[in-house]
Amino acid sequence: MQYDPLISQDYRSQAPEVAARFARIRSRPVILSARNLKRNFGAGPEARTIFEGVSLDIHRREFICVIGPSGCGKSTLARIVAGLDEASGGEVLLDGKAVSGPGPERGMVFQGYTLFPWLTVKGNVMFGREMGGQAPSEAEREARQWLDMVGLGKFENAYPHELSGGMKQRVAIARALANGPRILIMDEPFGALDAQTRAQMQAYLLQIWRKVDVTILFITHDLDEAAYLSDRILVLGTNPGGLVEFIENPVSRPRTVEQFRGAEFLALKRRLEEHIHPPVEVEEERLPMVKLTLAGDEVE
Amino acid sequence: MAHRDWLGLKQELPRKRRMWLTTLSFCLPILLWCAVSYLPWVWHPLVRVTNPGAVDYFTEDMDVPRADFASELAKAQAAGQPLPEGIRVNPVYLPAPHAVAIAFVTAFQTPPRLPNEPWLHESLGHSIRTILWGFVVSSLVGVPLGILCGTYRFFSRLQEPFIEFFRYLPAPAFGALSVAILGIDDAPKVAIIFVGTFFQQVLVIANTVRKVDPALIEASQTLGASGWKLVRRVIIPASISEVYTDMRILLGWAWTYLIVAEVVGTMSGITFFINQQARYRNFDNVYAAIAMIGVIGFSTDLFLAWLGEHLFPWKRKTRPNSPTRSLWQSCFGGAPAKEIPCSTTP
Ligand SMILES: Nc1ncnc2c1ncn2[C@@H]1O[C@H](COP(=O)(O)OP(=O)(O)OP(=O)(O)O)[C@@H](O)[C@H]1O
Ligand SMILES: [Mg+2]
Repeated sequence: MQYDPLISQDYRSQAPEVAARFARIRSRPVILSARNLKRNFGAGPEARTIFEGVSLDIHRREFICVIGPSGCGKSTLARIVAGLDEASGGEVLLDGKAVSGPGPERGMVFQGYTLFPWLTVKGNVMFGREMGGQAPSEAEREARQWLDMVGLGKFENAYPHELSGGMKQRVAIARALANGPRILIMDEPFGALDAQTRAQMQAYLLQIWRKVDVTILFITHDLDEAAYLSDRILVLGTNPGGLVEFIENPVSRPRTVEQFRGAEFLALKRRLEEHIHPPVEVEEERLPMVKLTLAGDEVE
Repeated sequence: MAHRDWLGLKQELPRKRRMWLTTLSFCLPILLWCAVSYLPWVWHPLVRVTNPGAVDYFTEDMDVPRADFASELAKAQAAGQPLPEGIRVNPVYLPAPHAVAIAFVTAFQTPPRLPNEPWLHESLGHSIRTILWGFVVSSLVGVPLGILCGTYRFFSRLQEPFIEFFRYLPAPAFGALSVAILGIDDAPKVAIIFVGTFFQQVLVIANTVRKVDPALIEASQTLGASGWKLVRRVIIPASISEVYTDMRILLGWAWTYLIVAEVVGTMSGITFFINQQARYRNFDNVYAAIAMIGVIGFSTDLFLAWLGEHLFPWKRKTRPNSPTRSLWQSCFGGAPAKEIPCSTTP
């Protein structure tokens, strides 16, 4: 497809440098792949399939965002990859080897604040290293580096309850990265933050990701966030649940705020919106006949 | 505006008012006691004879009911004989506050009547030793078992049903048995406190440990924690401050078993002292000794609460009644009150 940035309306058309970047990414080894993942809840007649047939390959240092309507199984997918939940079918491969159960090579940042309240900020960041058997002095030195990286060096002796939400999540990111994971799974990590802090955190995350050799699987329900951060966007759907589309983000890197108004960004967002907001065509006669308006307050 | 309201629903009062109410909660019963003791018209149902007069069965310092005294007085008046005299008093089992206050000090200085009987401080020491032994032995087994049960469903299913059953067996019921098995010295007493504490302890602590936020456990698993390391580095620290609070409450319960334990075998400790003093009708000493149990229990708990603040610094901000928090509130206003909208104004 011929590329023209001014008239481009198609999210699939890529500028040459973007296409080149995807070619580079594809040439990198696959870090994590999922094969035919399926997840049921319940048993017997109550059983529900949340999703099935989810297969994907994530290359080294790729930034994958997962979006989808609430309840489509984004968190479930993240937890299965992290090993905190078990798939009902299919398998997860890390560097080609099937994994089961959680492990330090798959770090996770949760939406809720899961810092250990009894440890200082530094203690939290050292935790994974110490679990791996590293000497405390060595772990402490590395923890300091990571805290400097997320800009919280001054708070190393503070307790989590003394930090703001954004700071807590930065510590959580440092804690996960200090462990040197192959892949970092983030489940709506900025969902509880206000818009301004969230924007800062997104910029922070991109900065860190540029410096660190880590692959990111990022769950979100915020389309702007997905478009701003991702290399590729995995769209999950409901009824039937599963992978709907795996979109290559046409916005070039490094990302700036200006791009939010660019043609690629808008095309991408339009596409995502089509997925998230299905066309409203509920037949009117199937809606329950309940009169909810007050007399004399009819709505046309 | 919230502060003007003494009876605000579920809202913490400012520090000054809290201290007032705390003082008042102690003063009210004491004031009531003073009223009964010092105001003759409140109760004082007896008359202590100071001069028997012509009544032949009256002797000096004898307490007689007011009605009897009045009728004897009337009889003497009618017969024109010397009148009996007396003052109104309370029964001997209700000493006045000042008498108990004095007994609080003198009880320690009074030598025992018999040479082989213990002094008060020895009795108290004996009681505290019994409690500590019972509690320590129970905790040495109960705390680890509680943590195991709270962590692993396996141990929970294996242990808790029986413990749940055993907990309903009243500890005093084991008095005779423990004497038969352990002899008449201190061992059966420690055993009673153990039985009274242990089973509750396992269940309470297991429950507390089960309440550890699963998200913390999952987070630690993704950081590589597993097995014993996870228990030691996550589950125990995550629950330790609540377990500590449980232990404070359990220690309070242990005191209630003390009195039972001390009558098992040979009577001992503070119970022995109380019984002995009651037999000698030194009721001021009895009250003083009972109050001492309260003082020891209460001050131990205050000390442990204070210690907890320092042992678990990360809990400081979340505890609404901590001294640091109250200090903060008294300086900068009650932070929690702001979140509750005032519902009294229309
Ligand atoms: N333990 C469970 N038992 C039964 N059903 C579950 C369980 N956990 C999740 N589900 C169901 O699985 C579906 C997917 O849940 P999940 O939390 O993965 O959704 P999500 O896409 O992350 O939603 P959100 O955007 O709201 O976070 C939901 O419909 C939920 O009801
Ligand atoms: Mg979710």
